[in-house]
Amino acid sequence: METSTQIAPKLRSGSQILIEALERNGVKQIFGYPGGTIMPVYDALVGSGLKHYLCRHEQGAALAADAYGRVTRKAGVCIATSGPGATNLVTGIANAFMDSVPMVVITGQVPSALQGTDAFQEVDIFGITLPIVKHSYIVRNVTDIPHIVNEAFQLAQNGRPGPVLIDLPKDISAGMGDVVYTPPQAWPATDLPDEEAMQAAAEMLSQARRPLVIAGGGIAISDSVEAFRQFIDRTGLPVTTTLKGLGVMPADDPHYVGMLGMHGNGAANHAVQNCDLLMVVGARFDDRATGHLAQFAQSARIIHVDIDAAEISKLRKADVAIVSELAPALEGIRPEQTANPGWQAQCAGWTKEFAWRYDAPGKGIYAPKLLRDLSQAQPEGLTITCDVGQHQMWVAQHCTFNDPLEHISSGGLGTMGYGLPAAIGAKVAKPDATVVCVSGDGSIMMNIQELATLKRYGIDVKILLLDNSALGLVRQWQEIFFEGNYSEVHLADNPDFAAVARAFGIQARSIKEPEEVSDALEWLLNTESAAMLHVSIDSMENVWPLVPPGKPNHKMMRSNP
Amino acid sequence: MKHKLTIQLSGSEGAVIRALGLIERRGFSLGKCSVGEADSSGRVMKVSVSSTRPGELLKRQLERLHDVFHVELKPAAAVKPRTLGIRPVTLKEY
Repeated sequence: METSTQIAPKLRSGSQILIEALERNGVKQIFGYPGGTIMPVYDALVGSGLKHYLCRHEQGAALAADAYGRVTRKAGVCIATSGPGATNLVTGIANAFMDSVPMVVITGQVPSALQGTDAFQEVDIFGITLPIVKHSYIVRNVTDIPHIVNEAFQLAQNGRPGPVLIDLPKDISAGMGDVVYTPPQAWPATDLPDEEAMQAAAEMLSQARRPLVIAGGGIAISDSVEAFRQFIDRTGLPVTTTLKGLGVMPADDPHYVGMLGMHGNGAANHAVQNCDLLMVVGARFDDRATGHLAQFAQSARIIHVDIDAAEISKLRKADVAIVSELAPALEGIRPEQTANPGWQAQCAGWTKEFAWRYDAPGKGIYAPKLLRDLSQAQPEGLTITCDVGQHQMWVAQHCTFNDPLEHISSGGLGTMGYGLPAAIGAKVAKPDATVVCVSGDGSIMMNIQELATLKRYGIDVKILLLDNSALGLVRQWQEIFFEGNYSEVHLADNPDFAAVARAFGIQARSIKEPEEVSDALEWLLNTESAAMLHVSIDSMENVWPLVPPGKPNHKMMRSNP
Repeated sequence: MKHKLTIQLSGSEGAVIRALGLIERRGFSLGKCSVGEADSSGRVMKVSVSSTRPGELLKRQLERLHDVFHVELKPAAAVKPRTLGIRPVTLKEY
């Protein structure tokens, strides 16, 4: 006979344990979409402390979680059911993986006993996502849930961040267990930067005649902007940034020569091709940044500073490598002297020579000028999310950013459809910011359904839709590299985007004339709810400069051949 | 270039396929492969791979995986000169 002192176990469902573990890991908001196998979790969500945003497609949920993760530097959380729900997340997971974004992804799965039987809405999401996650789990016991959730958040957020997937079979989410939550163990501290390597880097910087620094997205990810700016103030080194490094340096800083790469600034590309020492901080020699790799910065020796040892000498051999958090390395590298007035004057000369011009011929609205006007209309507190295409490159070139977290762009994966859900994630994370989604007529259609999410939750996102009635960047390449053989790029039959927005309950205006721009931008930024400004632009406008594929960065095209 | 790797990894679900998938995805052809239990919590995988890419890079990419505890990369064995079993002939004989 049992004694009366025995305490009855406190049984809870796997879903209740999961929700508690999420809350204990500091989660306040999640993005998702319910369905069959994830229903026990949605059942436990009711009355919990988590605010769930119902996106209207799982890809929207994943991309919103991605942007939330970028802005907060904490894992964004998205959740979906098995099968198509899970596969619809895949683009968002890949997006986060390519740009090193912390994210925790929770998918429902068919019950364990049915796994491997081609059950209804069964898909091996664990297997499908292996190449695009930092780590992943299939939960096999209810009692494993707290430990797995803790570890997932630690992995997603520490070191080089990335997405972590938790696949949750329905018998686990609905199963019962007696689990006492225990907090995660402290994550092991990252190694300090190697003293000898920092000394070697300092000596190389002192000896270099034409040193240059590339600032990458890792500086924002690791919250090292201040340490980086202090390093530049101390050393006076000229700086270029990658797409994801935009905002690391203030746009008007005299040391800053602009963004490098395929659509980079001429000053940056000339500086990088002429330097004799390249210090690369939190960047990974992406092909869009380097152009033809063998001819990239050919006379330069390389100092590579990154938290990820697997990036060292992956594409370009490093002469000195420092694998550590960026801030202590930047603080520890102390060159005796780096000033080279001749080289600095040369960089300043290029900056002046290649300064953007806004006196384009043509009668219509010139998108680069419009985007510059947008930045000038609200210089502080503006966060811009981008879609992918010509408008994305124009944003990178012509908007100004005081901080890299003001520029949310799909860099590595180049995901059309990112902009609108990213704006939702950014606005939820930063409610006080003015969040503008700059999109194109191709990209906006990839996640247009998220207009319903804006309306449903009253999320105040401004959409600036640049409509050139074409898939502009593809059209530009067909014009230049495929002899004008236009194939499936014309979108003259686009819907009336303003009417579409209004149908979702979003205010909208359309403009076509340059003299309308100023009033329309003021209207967009001052409307006290979500709004869309639809702007018709010239369908033949191109992004310049352009480094043709297979060419080195200094062989930029500056206009049509 | 051929390399031999000894990979100590966790016994958790998917660990082996995760490591093998990475090897091929990062541009290395798999040759021989054996997987055995190392102890109660882990496994040891021995693989031979070939690629034009440096083996050291693959080692670091494998070490990045949470499932992987340790990777030992053996320097590529010197390729023995091979004969095809054909006796050299002289012009005169021909």
